[in-house]
Amino acid sequence: MDKGHRLVEHFFRREYGRLVATLARQLGEQHLEIAEDAAQSALMAALESWARGSVPSNPSAWLFRVAKNEALQELRTRARRGRILRAETEAGTVLGSLAEPTEVEGDMLRMLFVCCDEGIPEPSRLVLALKTICGFDVPEIARRLFVSEANVYKRLSRARARLREGSRFPDCPAGEGAGMGEGVSEERVAREGAAREDDARSAYDARLSSVQKVLYVLFAEGHLSLHDEMPLRQELCDEAIRLTTMLATHVAGSSPETYAMLALMHFHVARMPARQDAGGGLLLLEEQNRALWDRQQILEGFAWLGKSATGDVYSRYHAEAAIAAEHCRAPSFQETRWDKIAESYALLEAQAPSPLHALNRALAIAEWKGPRAGLVALEKASPPSWLEGSQGGGSHYWPLVLADLHRRCGDDSEARRHGEAAIKLAPTEAIRALIARRLDM
Amino acid sequence: MAKYLCLQRSVPSDEGGKPSPAQMQEMYAKFGAWQEKFKANLVDMGGKLGEGKIVTTGSVDGPLVEVKELAGGYMIVSASSLDEAIEVASACPGLVRPGSGVEVIEIHTP
Repeated sequence: MDKGHRLVEHFFRREYGRLVATLARQLGEQHLEIAEDAAQSALMAALESWARGSVPSNPSAWLFRVAKNEALQELRTRARRGRILRAETEAGTVLGSLAEPTEVEGDMLRMLFVCCDEGIPEPSRLVLALKTICGFDVPEIARRLFVSEANVYKRLSRARARLREGSRFPDCPAGEGAGMGEGVSEERVAREGAAREDDARSAYDARLSSVQKVLYVLFAEGHLSLHDEMPLRQELCDEAIRLTTMLATHVAGSSPETYAMLALMHFHVARMPARQDAGGGLLLLEEQNRALWDRQQILEGFAWLGKSATGDVYSRYHAEAAIAAEHCRAPSFQETRWDKIAESYALLEAQAPSPLHALNRALAIAEWKGPRAGLVALEKASPPSWLEGSQGGGSHYWPLVLADLHRRCGDDSEARRHGEAAIKLAPTEAIRALIARRLDM
Repeated sequence: MAKYLCLQRSVPSDEGGKPSPAQMQEMYAKFGAWQEKFKANLVDMGGKLGEGKIVTTGSVDGPLVEVKELAGGYMIVSASSLDEAIEVASACPGLVRPGSGVEVIEIHTP
């Protein structure tokens, strides 16, 4: 009886994402809520039934059957109440004839592109993706993004409202080697011809950079978050890598930029285990034990970085991946090729101007040519008020860098002045402790 | 070892919201661990109870009370005493919680 009771990690979340993606394609994303409710009910049914008995030999197929029936029943109920629209009847017909899903990956990717609808505000896109594709519920999303549940609800309902009134996004263009299997895709392609496929391609191409951006933000939420709960952050990074890998290996999303972004993600997660000491305190790059860096992740990073060096586009993702690669490649902090890093930051600034990049470039120059040169580089840049932190608000980062560079030049009073500002602005206790330790204050 | 019928009283309501997929995974794991721990006691995992009718001489009637209020599910455990059976049932994740309790009844077999 206790045979076959084990389910893979994240099984329910993964299946939720698959079910929603496939049903949303079949029903049209105008009926996203029906798809989500059906997926939820199917998983509940599985929980009840599998816990008592045993897991069926093909759990995904079992879930899909139950979810499909749930969705059909909901459509029929709506029809009986006379609230049915023509589109819903058609959706029901299509759904009713649907066999096992054959292109789950394509469906998942399609859902990712649906989340990046031009009419959905950017902050809503990420939340919708977390809800529908990653299978997090509202409280879980709120906890991971450091926002209120009300905020998550608001963002979700904006996204859904847009999808309800929008038109249907095309199916995912067939990937290399895909669509050769059972019926559905083959028939469809034969029937509607290559012209349709081209339209789909351009629809996907048009949204690709938005999709990349959402995945980038998803990763950054995990990687840069001030959250103390490491597992939650790791989870967001893992989700970002999983989805970006899916994108990079599919014809609809494979592009040098996607590869570069994926390389960047692997380089960053490789170094995550070394960022904290045993007590959970933050460690500076130069203090980190490089033996803790994950070699496998670094190798994968370099593999994708190699693939990204094609075509004539040099994106911000390329620049960021190049910087991360230099760090991963360096045997020690001292042996880092700071000239390369400074150069890449300059390229990054050209791609995506930001005072943070100017700051990081100054730090690289300081390591390369000395702290005075770093300060000179900063003189040319002017921080925006939110980053300077001299009068209320602002980030601790700018004064911290100034304090550190002045300290290394021996200007103690300047170092102290900026250091105090940095400590005052530190957002968490861990960061405050890090600054105090660094500046000897 | 005597056998005991465990009846889940009242349906699990929607109060408290629906569990998220991650929570379901956790519930599933907990249930599995409970089954493993008490596998010697679990005679029949039973199932959910659906609609029913009451049959008396000459008539078939609906149940006196809503069947769902009566019991949501059942299972049969074996135990050396009522107290032990209660221990098994009350350790079952999801069985004893707000809006749901369990009635443990000894089954007398000749």
